[in-house]
Amino acid sequence: MATSSTDVHIGPDTTAPESPSAQLTPDDRVGLLRAMLLMRAIEERAMNLYRQGKVPGSFYDGFGQEAVSVGATWAMAAADRLCVLHRDLGAHLVRGVQPSNILAQYMGREAGITSGRDGNVHFGDYRTGCVGMVSMLPDMMLVAAGMAMAFKLRREPRCALTWFGDGSTSRGDFHEAMNWAGVQQLPVIFVLENNQFAYSTPIRQQFAVNPVERAAGYGFPGVSVDGNDAEAVFEATRVARERAISGGGPTLIEAVTMRMHGHGAHDDMKYVPKALFEEWRQKDPIDRQSARVAALQIDVEALRAEVRAEVDAASAKALAGPMPDPATATDRLFHPRDAEQILLEDGQAPWSGFGPMGARP
Amino acid sequence: MPQMGVSVAEGTVVDWRKQPGDWVQADETICEISTDKIDTEVPAPASGRLVEVLVAVGATVDVGVTLARIATDARPGEPHSSENGAPPPAAATALPPPPAGPDAPVAAPSRGSAPPRRTGGAGGSVSRRYSPVVQRIADEHGVDLDEVQGTGREGRVQKKDVMAVVAARGGRVGSATRAPDADAAEPVLHIESPYRPGAGASVSGPYTPPEGRPLSRMRQAIGVHMKQSQMTAATCTTWIEVDVSRIEIARRKLAITALPLIARCTIGALIEFPLLNAWLENDVHTVHEQVNLGIAVALGEDGLIVPVVRGAQDLSPEGLSRRIRDLARRARSRQLSPDDVHGATFTITNPGQFGSMMATPVIAQPQVAILDVEAIVKRPVVVTDQFGDDAIAIRPMVILGLSWDHRALDGALAARFLASVKKRVESYEL
Amino acid sequence: MSEMTYLRAISDGLRTEMRDDERVLLMGEDIGVYGGAFKVTDGFIEEFGADRVMDTPLAESGIVGTAVGAAVVGLRPVCEMQFADFVSCGFDQIINVAGKMLYRQGLPVNITVRLPSGGGFSGGPFHSQNPEAWFMHSPGLKVVAPSTAEDAKGLMIASIRDPNPVIYMEHKNLYRRVKGEVPEGSYETPFSARVAREGTDLVVITYGAMVHTALEATEDLDDASIMVLDLRSLVPLDEAAILSAVHDCSKVVIVDEANQTCAAGAQVAALIAEFGFEDLDGPVVRVASPDVPIPFSPTLEAAVLPSVDRIREACRQLLEY
Repeated sequence: MATSSTDVHIGPDTTAPESPSAQLTPDDRVGLLRAMLLMRAIEERAMNLYRQGKVPGSFYDGFGQEAVSVGATWAMAAADRLCVLHRDLGAHLVRGVQPSNILAQYMGREAGITSGRDGNVHFGDYRTGCVGMVSMLPDMMLVAAGMAMAFKLRREPRCALTWFGDGSTSRGDFHEAMNWAGVQQLPVIFVLENNQFAYSTPIRQQFAVNPVERAAGYGFPGVSVDGNDAEAVFEATRVARERAISGGGPTLIEAVTMRMHGHGAHDDMKYVPKALFEEWRQKDPIDRQSARVAALQIDVEALRAEVRAEVDAASAKALAGPMPDPATATDRLFHPRDAEQILLEDGQAPWSGFGPMGARP
Repeated sequence: MPQMGVSVAEGTVVDWRKQPGDWVQADETICEISTDKIDTEVPAPASGRLVEVLVAVGATVDVGVTLARIATDARPGEPHSSENGAPPPAAATALPPPPAGPDAPVAAPSRGSAPPRRTGGAGGSVSRRYSPVVQRIADEHGVDLDEVQGTGREGRVQKKDVMAVVAARGGRVGSATRAPDADAAEPVLHIESPYRPGAGASVSGPYTPPEGRPLSRMRQAIGVHMKQSQMTAATCTTWIEVDVSRIEIARRKLAITALPLIARCTIGALIEFPLLNAWLENDVHTVHEQVNLGIAVALGEDGLIVPVVRGAQDLSPEGLSRRIRDLARRARSRQLSPDDVHGATFTITNPGQFGSMMATPVIAQPQVAILDVEAIVKRPVVVTDQFGDDAIAIRPMVILGLSWDHRALDGALAARFLASVKKRVESYEL
Repeated sequence: MSEMTYLRAISDGLRTEMRDDERVLLMGEDIGVYGGAFKVTDGFIEEFGADRVMDTPLAESGIVGTAVGAAVVGLRPVCEMQFADFVSCGFDQIINVAGKMLYRQGLPVNITVRLPSGGGFSGGPFHSQNPEAWFMHSPGLKVVAPSTAEDAKGLMIASIRDPNPVIYMEHKNLYRRVKGEVPEGSYETPFSARVAREGTDLVVITYGAMVHTALEATEDLDDASIMVLDLRSLVPLDEAAILSAVHDCSKVVIVDEANQTCAAGAQVAALIAEFGFEDLDGPVVRVASPDVPIPFSPTLEAAVLPSVDRIREACRQLLEY
C-alpha cells in the first residue's frame, strides 16, 4: 500500500535532536549549519535586492529546504559530480562557489557564474564539478546518469548526484533516467526533493504512488529521509554513495521537506493550507541544526553574525560590479576547435571523512 | 484619417491644400485635420496625382477612413485623366499579386518550379524593369539599357544581354574582381559575423552641410519678441505638481480636452490674484479686471501664434473649449484677424500634449506671467484618506510651470497663485 | 583510396575515430549486436566491445541526455537516432541541455547526434523526414549534411572532434546508392561548402541527397553552364561561398528535400536577398517539398519530393527569365 510522503515520520523538534549519523565531527556539524545559514542569508539578501528592483526577472529560493542540498553535498567527494536544482543553493556553497558571484548572478551582472547569460540558480560552476539545471524538469536526471555511465565505463570510483522535485516525477525523463540507471546499475544518486508542491499543484494531484516506491520497479532501492534534517540527508547520501562506488548501483532518496516560500517571488502561496504551513514552520532545518551546534557549546549567534557580515561584504562587492558588456551577447556560442578542452573540475568536499584534500578516506 | 494618438477615434478635415488633379510629392502636406487631441497637417503617403478627395472640409470621419486617393502610377507633367478623358489609372497602389493561400491545393511544386511572372500592369516593352545586376553593370559601363535588345521572357534584358553589349564595345565586366569575400582565407562563418560590414562603408569624409535658407518672417518676428522679453523682464519660473483626476473625469463628461478646464481654474486664480492678470510697460503697471486669455497655438515648424479669448472670465469650460478650438482652427488656416491676437492679459501654453514634462516659457510682453501646462502622466502618489492613513495611489498628474516677471511680483505671490490653481483643479466641481 | 558506399564511408569514419580516440563511444538502439538498423555499426561490437558500442533502452531523450553527461566528464559520445524522425523524442535534451550549456555556463558539450534522414523509399510520414532546420533554428548546435562518400567520412571525423554538439544528417537514400573514392586513414572535411560542378549561367544551391538530384537535373540542360553548390554544412553556413556563387551566376535555384517553409534553403534565400541583391538577374527560385507530411504511397511520395524534372524545369524557367 502506498504511503503519502507526508506520513513519513519526522521526529519531534527537541532542543538537541539526536544525530542520525555517527560520521560527523563537531566541525562537520558546524559546517552544515554554517552552509545552511549562508544559503538562507544569501537568498534573503537576494529577495531584498529583488524587491529593490536590482534582480531582473523573478526570483526563486529554497527557503526551508536548506538541509536537502547542504546535507547531500556534504557527503560528496571532490571528484564526484553534481547537477544542481533551483532550490539547492547550498550545494554550490559547499562546493566552493563564492557568495558575491552568486549575488552577481541573480542581478545579471558580469561577475555572475553565467556572466549574465542566465539568471537565478540556473547555473553551475564547472570548476566545482557542478552542472547547472535547465528549466525543463527533470532533464538533469539523464545528465547525471550519463556522468555515472562514464564513471562506470572507465571503472572510476566516483558517483554522480542530482536533485529534482516531486513534480518532475511525472515527466518521461524521470522514467528514462530511472530505467537507464537501473538497467546499467549506474553509480548515481537521485535525490527527490519532495517539497509538497510543484508550483501550486499538491503532490496528491501529482502521483498516485509515492515515487520512492517506484525505485523498486526499476531495480534499486528507494529510501525516505527527513529532508529538514541536514544530518539525516547527509547520512542517507553517504550510504547511497558507498553503495554507488562499490558497484551497488543507484539509489533514490526522497527528502521530505516543504517549500516555505512561493514558487517564485511573485507567488503568494495562497494555495498552501495554513495548518500545513504552520506545521512545517515548527520543523525549520536551521533551528534544528542550531540546537545541535549549541549543544556543542558553540556560539550560534556569533556564527550568524559572521555569516551576515560575509553576505554584507558579498552584496557590496556584487553591487559594485558591472553589467555584462552588450557587445559580448553573441560570444561563446561555439567552443573553438583549437581552444583548451573544458571539462567539469573537482569541487570542495569538506566532510571530515574525506580528509583535508577532499579525497576518499 | 490618421490616428493622432492612441485614444483618438475621429478627426475633422479642416482644409484641403491639394485639389484633384494636382501633383503631390510624398510627405508634402495634402490636407489639414483637427482632432480632439491635436490639429495637424497630413503629409501625402506617396508621390502621385491626387485622383479624388473623399472627405469634404468640415466633415468628421473615423480614424482609418480613406481621405483621398493618389494615383501612384501617374507621372509629373502627364495630363490628368480628367483633362483628356483617358480611363482612370488601373491601380491606386501597386499591390503585388497575392501569394497562393494556405488553402491552395498542394501548390508548392508549381510554386517552387517556375519564377513568378508579373501579372497585370503594363507590358514589358512599355515599362521595362531591370534586375539589380543588369542595372549595376549598365551603370558601371554607361550602357543605355533602353538600347539593349533583351533575350529574356517578354524581351526582358538579362545579364548576358548587357554583358554582350559591353563586350562588343571591347570592355570587360569586372567579374572575378568583385567576388565578395572570395579571397578571404577563412570562410566567414555565420556565427562569427552575423552582420556584414557594408562594402566601402569606410570612415566618412568631411561633412558638407546642406545649403542654408533665410528664416521665415514669422520665425523672425517670434525671435524678436522672445529676445525682447528676455531682455526686458526679470523672468523666474515656479512649478507645481497637480492631481488632475477630477479634470480627467470632467473632460470625459464634457467631451472636451483638459486645456479649457485648466484654463477655467486659472481664470479663477487670476481673479483671486489680479496682480498676475496685468501688464508692465515702461514702469506702468496695469492690472486688469477682464481676463483676455492668450492661448499659444503651434503652427508646425512654421512657428506659433497666440490668439486671444476675450472676456474669458465669463466663459464656461465648454465655452472656452469652443473659443479655443475656433481660434486654433483659424490660426492654422491663417484666418485670424489682428484683433484676435492682441490684448492678452495672461497666456497659457500647452506643449504637454506632446508628452513633455517641464518647461520655462518666455513671457509675452507686456504681460507679467505665462502658465505652462505639461503632459498629464499617471504617477504613483501618496494620498491620505479621511482617517489620516497614507496609501500609494496611481493618479493622473501634471506639472504646471509659471514664468513670472520679478519686476511686477515676488515668488511668494507666484506660489500662492499656483497653489490656488492647484486647489481649483484638485477640487474641481463635477 | 578505395571505392566505397556512402554508408561504408560513415562506418569507416566512426571506426577510424574510435581506433584513434578511446573517448569515443557509440550509443543507440540496436547498434551493437544487430549492427544498427542500417548496419552502419555492423561488426563494431566485436572490435570495440559492448561498452563502447552501447545498445541502449528505447529512449531517445535518455540517449541524448546521458551522452551530455558523459561528454562533460570527458567522453565523446556519438548517438544514433534510429531514424532522424525519432529525434523529436530527444529534442528537449538537444535544444535545451546540449545547445545552451556552453553559452550559459562555459561548458562545451562534445556530442555528435547521427540522424538517418530523408525519403524516397516509401518510408512514410515517420521514416522520411528531413528535420535539419529544427536544429538550425536553435542556437548552439552545428548541423552538417554530407552528400558524398568522401565527405561522409571526413565530416564524421570532424564532427566527433568538434567540441560542440553536432547534428550529423546522413541521408538514407544515399547509403547504398552513392559510391565514391574515399581516402584511407584519418582526415577531416571542413564545415564549408563545396562546388560540386562549376558553372556560370545559374547556380543550384543544395545539400545532401538533393546534390545528386540537382547534378542529374542540370547535366546538359540546353547547353547552359550550371553550377551546383553543395553546402555540406548548414550551421555554420558558408555565406562567402554562397554569395560568391551568386555573384558569378546571378541566377539561383535553391533545392531542399525538406518541407519548404523555413527550410535551410529559406535561410540561404534570405541571405542572398540581403547581401546578394546587387548580383541578381532574376528572382531567387526555390524547389522543396510542399508543407505536407511525406506520404507513403510511391505515387504520392514522388509528387511531393523534389524530382529531377522539377529541378530541371525550374532551372529552365529561370534561365529564360
